[in-house]
Amino acid sequence: MTHAALVMKDISKAFPGIQALDKASLEVRPGEIHGMVGENGAGKSSIIKVLAGIYRAESGTIFVMGKPIENITPEAVHAFGIRFIHQELHLVPHFTVTESVFMGQETSGPFGLRSRDMRRRAESFLKETLNASISGGALIRDLGPAERKLVQIARALIDGQARIVVFDEPTAPLSSDEIAQLFQAIRALKARGIAMLYVSHYLKEITEICDRVTVFRNGRDVARFEQITPQSGGELVSAMVGRELGELYPPRGERTVSDAPVLALRDAGDGALFEGVSLELRAGEIVGIAGLVGSGRSAVVDTLYGLRKLHAGGMELDGKPVRFRSPAEAVAKGIVLVPRDRRNDGLVLSMSSAENINIASLDEIARFWLESRKRAHIRAERQIADLDIRPVDPDVIARNLSGGNQQKLVLGRWLATDARVFLLDEPTVGVDVGARVEIYALIERLVEQGAAVLISSSDPAELIGTCDRILVMMRGRIACEVDAGGLAVDELVALTTGANGEAA
Amino acid sequence: MRSLTLTRLVGIAPLLIFVAMLAYIGFNAPNFFTVTTADLVLKQSIPVVVVSLGLAIVVMAGGDDIVAGGIDLSIPSTAALAASITALLVTNMNQPLIVGLLAALAAALAIGLVNALLVTRINMTPLLATLASSVAIVGIASVVTSSRRINVTDPAIVFIRDGCILGISADVVLVAILVFVAFHLIHRTRWGMNMQAVGGSRDAAEISGIPVKRFLFSSFVLAALAGWLAAPFVLARGSGVSPGVEENLLIEMVLATFLGAAFSPRRVVTLWGAVLGAILVAAVSIGFKSMGVNVFWTGLIKGSLILIVVALAAVSSRTRT
Amino acid sequence: MTSTNTTARTGMLDTFLRYGFLIVFAGFFALFTVVNPIFVTPGNILNIVEGSAVLLILALGMTLVVSMGGIDLSVGIALDFGAAFAVVAMKNYGIDWSTAVLIGIAGGTLVGGLNAILVVGLNVSPFLATLGTFFIGSSVQRIFTNGGGPISYRKMPEEFRNLALGDVFGIPSEVIIALVLLAIYFVVLQRSIFGRRAHAIGMQTSAALVAGIKVKLYVALGFVLASGTCAIGGIIAAANMRMFTPLAGFSYLMDAIAAVFIGAAINARGRPNVMGTVVGVLFLAMVTNGLNLMGLDFNTKDALSGLILVGALALAVSQQKRG
Repeated sequence: MTHAALVMKDISKAFPGIQALDKASLEVRPGEIHGMVGENGAGKSSIIKVLAGIYRAESGTIFVMGKPIENITPEAVHAFGIRFIHQELHLVPHFTVTESVFMGQETSGPFGLRSRDMRRRAESFLKETLNASISGGALIRDLGPAERKLVQIARALIDGQARIVVFDEPTAPLSSDEIAQLFQAIRALKARGIAMLYVSHYLKEITEICDRVTVFRNGRDVARFEQITPQSGGELVSAMVGRELGELYPPRGERTVSDAPVLALRDAGDGALFEGVSLELRAGEIVGIAGLVGSGRSAVVDTLYGLRKLHAGGMELDGKPVRFRSPAEAVAKGIVLVPRDRRNDGLVLSMSSAENINIASLDEIARFWLESRKRAHIRAERQIADLDIRPVDPDVIARNLSGGNQQKLVLGRWLATDARVFLLDEPTVGVDVGARVEIYALIERLVEQGAAVLISSSDPAELIGTCDRILVMMRGRIACEVDAGGLAVDELVALTTGANGEAA
Repeated sequence: MRSLTLTRLVGIAPLLIFVAMLAYIGFNAPNFFTVTTADLVLKQSIPVVVVSLGLAIVVMAGGDDIVAGGIDLSIPSTAALAASITALLVTNMNQPLIVGLLAALAAALAIGLVNALLVTRINMTPLLATLASSVAIVGIASVVTSSRRINVTDPAIVFIRDGCILGISADVVLVAILVFVAFHLIHRTRWGMNMQAVGGSRDAAEISGIPVKRFLFSSFVLAALAGWLAAPFVLARGSGVSPGVEENLLIEMVLATFLGAAFSPRRVVTLWGAVLGAILVAAVSIGFKSMGVNVFWTGLIKGSLILIVVALAAVSSRTRT
Repeated sequence: MTSTNTTARTGMLDTFLRYGFLIVFAGFFALFTVVNPIFVTPGNILNIVEGSAVLLILALGMTLVVSMGGIDLSVGIALDFGAAFAVVAMKNYGIDWSTAVLIGIAGGTLVGGLNAILVVGLNVSPFLATLGTFFIGSSVQRIFTNGGGPISYRKMPEEFRNLALGDVFGIPSEVIIALVLLAIYFVVLQRSIFGRRAHAIGMQTSAALVAGIKVKLYVALGFVLASGTCAIGGIIAAANMRMFTPLAGFSYLMDAIAAVFIGAAINARGRPNVMGTVVGVLFLAMVTNGLNLMGLDFNTKDALSGLILVGALALAVSQQKRG
């Protein structure tokens, strides 16, 4: 049996209310490209953070080349030869390639920096180890995304001490040519016997480049695939998704779907993240958008709300062309957004529940433009009771509420207005199960009362459970539209990840 | 691709404006492009060059983004205080120049320490911190000088003003040496590279194991040091120190440093850019003066230029992302 | 950036820091009383209050801008413009005093208008935009007065002069004007729905934007209203001295900033607020007055008040990063 380069055994990590890792294990061999897949919240990023020394695990051990790491700190992990290629590049735009590669590890002599020496070494490393011809004097901001990625990799590996490299979603911003370039570099590293962990949502790439794959679900490794072929996509999806769908979703009630769309996009593009997108939202209907990071679905939602500008195509409200230059204009027309970053964009965390609930409908609580504390409380208490928000005290600071209750607060704010179109971006991220059930029930209620709802989500089960129809986006375009009724979760996952060999 | 040309154009615009102004001056001012004027320009620019070195260091360590990044508005006041202390000790108390300079150095280091602590410990934005400290520094300087002008006739200072080394003005030679030393420190050593990394991207620097807070701290101390280094040249140029000498220095320092960013090939604040900026600002000042333009109009032009440079920077960072 | 340290600062320490400033205030009060007992006489207290009227007016404008997350370095310029426009209108154009007041206010709002264009239109940071306005405004004044000399107006209309020197039922009119503005600002910023929106913008701009608040409009209005308010301060200053003194506004700048930050520090949520600003203004006015009574020469006074300013600001900011 080949000696493992990295072994993580029985790692457990709990947060209040969530068991992020539950005796998870992982094993990577030298010269192996080991894939790691799993849905959001399955434990992938948690175990990486434990490995990086960012999280402290409650139990479990890590062995590198057979030797245990006693005190798992970032410095110790680095000393053991483990390197991380994060999703974020962390490069300085106006630095040269050489300066970036040697950041923090520059060589100098009696007369100062050994610039020429470093440049030579950077260029030769890029060429020989990564198969890339990049000039050492080029500026980072003049490089394309793949080249920048390669510079980031070079920085991590130039000291020659790396034995294990962890790639976290390396291809999200890359085109297919650039992905090929990156894979060439990764294979070159493989030839040098470096052990690699490759974390990604893109199953097509996983099946292309990885030797073995570990699937994570619910905080543990649930399956390991020893032999990966380009056809393994379906099996991976099944393992990722598992069998449980549960009783989270309320039954579909009486709905009257309007004929004419309330809000529509016609062949819309923002010039950067999506193009040629057309969609229609009708009253009484729930439409979903599925897609991975980089698919453009977040940008589409932002554009509908006036947070992004349309460069091509148009938007229609009740059949008439419209352009929102700011969220204020959208809200004035009854279109509201529950944003994906609840803590920064959704709530003013240092304000109370009541203040957050009333912030979008202040005219309703004003007497001659002065806030009436009484009215504010009455309105807030009504929403709090309606949505079962805990704690019940309307003066509690929003920061102290749980994720689920915070999300209900955001919804409560919009329910206090006359909204008729609800744009929900990742509505249940960071929300506990109990609140999720309540939120789904609320959405169903809204739609029965005649609202139009759009849900953008990375949770395929959620989309199938709540939506009537689902649009799948891939790399900036709508790939297809499917009916949610009768759709299996595996099928949707396969569509969004391109596991069936869909072109990027 | 259209946005790339637009970005480049917007980035170069300040340089173009300046070149245009120089051309205009050249046409309208007699004898502008002569060696005598060049010498005059260089000498006038010297105090600005030295304080701009300090500002450039703070900006390079703190980041180009003026809101959250690095800036030190107290350097000119520090220079004024250092000059005042030196002048007081040398002229009014008959101490040797070296004693005056050492006392001034102590004061400057104290200022640097306070600024560094305000920014790194109390987490005040550098703008607020250095703005506030400059008020206090000017107040202390007024105590030192009793709000009166102090003449300085020390031979060393006179030499800086009038003397020559190898045929070139002494002050120019000394500052040139200073600039070269600073350049080597910032652009040719590991320490300097790391400091630029801190300013370029705090996250990138942290990931690379560079001690961010330590560099931020040092940058403010170095900036105060630059203020101290400017003092002898301020004394030389003014043959002493007068109240309010820091006001003009402030606006020219800000203008020179940020204009310099437009001149640099990488479009970021650099030492050479700041030096070039200082020289250009002096050239325009002298040029307008020799054309008979009211000195306050020059002030207005400088103020407008700062706004233009800053607005263009804001616009260009929008088109770049 | 998550700072886990802030959660540790709770309970007793937090309360001390919050009241720390008031302790300092009381300390200085005691010190000045001991050094010169005249300090606590009603006449002197009235002096302090009267002398703080203009600063309070400027600090109110600054409070508005800072509560929305910005800063305004050109408040002094707005003050100067207010004074200049009013004085010139009366002196050179014979315009009656009440219209001159309106013209003065209009002149001040020009400054705010420029700031608004730069910050909202061109996306320049408030600090830089108002710094630029400050530089330009200073130069314009120098040009206009040919070197910075004051424009005196001996034959200033009585009514205009009374804005500063008169009194209503024994209370100096400048104090009344300041109190009226104080009341308006308090109601608007702390009790009205507009103030609620403004605070939301300052606390979490992106959330305010997503909640449908017209952020750009509010920020632009903030700068304009602040500068208009400062212009009123300038009119009072001009009425006081019977002249327009160019660049007189600058000396108020740091004090206005300090007053607002001090006010924010003593607030439970660490937010800039009107009553806190009043405390800050009174503190600074008290320090100036106390230092005066100590009989120090004006240089030493300048230096000491500068140092106290830095200290007070440091204390205030170190407490403020809680909200």
